[in-house]
Amino acid sequence: MRPILLSGHERSLNQIKFNRDGDLIFSVAKDKIVCAWWSANGERLGTYAGHQGAIWTVDVSPNTLLLATGSADNTVRLWNVKTGECVKVWDFPTAVKRVEFTPDGSRLLAVTEKRMGFLGTIVVLDINYGENLSEQAEEPSLRITCTESKATVAGWGYLGQFIIAGHEDGSVSQYDGKTGEQLENVQAHEFDHQINDIQFSQDRTYFITASKDKSAKLMSTRNLAILKTYVADTPLNSATITPKKDYVILGGGQAAMDVTTTSARQGKFEARFYHKVFEDEIGRVRGHFGPLNTVHVHPAGTSYASGGEDGYVRVHHFDKSYFDFMYEVEREQLRR
Amino acid sequence: MSKLGNRADWADDEEFDDPSALPAQQITTNKDGTKTIVSYRFNDEGKKVKVTRKIKTTVVREHVNPQVAERRTWAKFGLEKGNAPGPSFDTTSVGENIVFRPSVNWKVQAAEAEKNGGEKGSMKDQLKDKKVKCRICSGEHFTARCPFKDTMAPVEEPAGGAGIEGGAAGDEPAAGALGSGTSSYVPPHLRKGAAGGGERMAGKYEKDDLATLRVTNVSELAEEAELRDLFERFGRVTRVFLARDRETQRAKGFAFISFADRSDAARACEKMDGFGYRHLILRVEFAKRAT
Repeated sequence: MRPILLSGHERSLNQIKFNRDGDLIFSVAKDKIVCAWWSANGERLGTYAGHQGAIWTVDVSPNTLLLATGSADNTVRLWNVKTGECVKVWDFPTAVKRVEFTPDGSRLLAVTEKRMGFLGTIVVLDINYGENLSEQAEEPSLRITCTESKATVAGWGYLGQFIIAGHEDGSVSQYDGKTGEQLENVQAHEFDHQINDIQFSQDRTYFITASKDKSAKLMSTRNLAILKTYVADTPLNSATITPKKDYVILGGGQAAMDVTTTSARQGKFEARFYHKVFEDEIGRVRGHFGPLNTVHVHPAGTSYASGGEDGYVRVHHFDKSYFDFMYEVEREQLRR
Repeated sequence: MSKLGNRADWADDEEFDDPSALPAQQITTNKDGTKTIVSYRFNDEGKKVKVTRKIKTTVVREHVNPQVAERRTWAKFGLEKGNAPGPSFDTTSVGENIVFRPSVNWKVQAAEAEKNGGEKGSMKDQLKDKKVKCRICSGEHFTARCPFKDTMAPVEEPAGGAGIEGGAAGDEPAAGALGSGTSSYVPPHLRKGAAGGGERMAGKYEKDDLATLRVTNVSELAEEAELRDLFERFGRVTRVFLARDRETQRAKGFAFISFADRSDAARACEKMDGFGYRHLILRVEFAKRAT
């Protein structure tokens, strides 16, 4: 496969998202602009300008009308995907590290940083898709305060029933999506090893976490049971579950601040493919010059994009060999 | 009248040699269905550049839902506003091909590949137990560093013996080494059957060798000026070379003296052989040509 290199950002990438149909890719980096790309050929559709700081996170509504971004300038912004206009700005006391729409797009969660005496929170904003997109509720409909360990990432469980949050101390917690009550808290990863990413399966019944403790875990949304563990040899920044084939893709590499002080081997800056069920590593894809900060897969499972500390987005459309690969047991089952 | 008018139009269409004008883009359709597009543009230095692109168009039909089709018609915005459709070269490029073949025993394969790559990759390991050998004096240094490289031609070496001293091989026309059965090109006059060669250009060795003496058993404390004085008595000396140790700068015990005239050299050879100089007895002979 020949990757498409997208070099629209000047600084390291923070998050990449495909929209639900998979025809558009949205990428955000530390350089204040959001880029929208056509996934098929890597053509840039446009940019969304307005943020005053590094942008940590992006998400697109399921109907691809609205785009939400969270930034280090303490705002969440809502954009009109088609025109590039900013339709709404919500101000927060601290930086916003993660935003995500519910599966139906009616609500948006935002994770705010713990800083300057403010505790980390998860807020939920109601989203309105009327004639005028700029008419949005001013106040959040729900606010969850993380008193113990701040949340670093969060996402919605199936049907928006739960909010699943990954914490700085390596634990994963489950909140009720309506009341904000904490239902469960599991120390999924090693203590004090931050969870860097949570991505859900298509039906959102399970999700994968990527942690600094060099492992990724597949967990059930309903009861936070650890289903699978994928062990890597480097801290992980991102993990995603591939539809169509039962793989997971992990992205990581030494932290950017350690790169110059540790061995210069390029080898750790690779996307790692594991079999979702058998937990075996089945291959790697090289290409980035720095750690991978984010990976996201096309909703149809035909391609994936990775963004690195090197400022590049690489979009890979899978080859036939990717789809053909099967374990012996899988083949046997197919024959029966 | 209309004829005239037409003529005028035709004249107007005539291109004048305006340096700032760019020829129009030409598109030709080739037999195999590809298109060749020749366009012109100015580069950063203001020079005219001709760009020839060969394009093969493949139509891929895809069924997408109406929303996706509708999005395809969206205009570009933000930094891309007003840009032509199609990927722009400054933001989008295609990387080199990556072979991704998932496999169960990926780790084993990767480890093997790394091992092989490691063996091949490190030049240092490859050369670890090779010794450097000079092609001139067979000492343990590079040919380029040889103290005699100005005076002696490289000694003949067996065919295919191109070791690692290759770094210095380009310094001299290694006439002796050629023609000895290596696969490289050998000019006809140097081939084995070629009866000693007809006219050779007077190389730097031939000329000197005729009137160059090799003096051995020279004292460590000898000086070039002294040697010159000693041999000047027999005729004009063109060059004195005293081999010295690189580190200590002491004489190594031999020297080469070139005379302008061969008869002078012969006389010097006769007289100076066995001459006592600085508590040692000199041995003088004609320098052998290393062929």
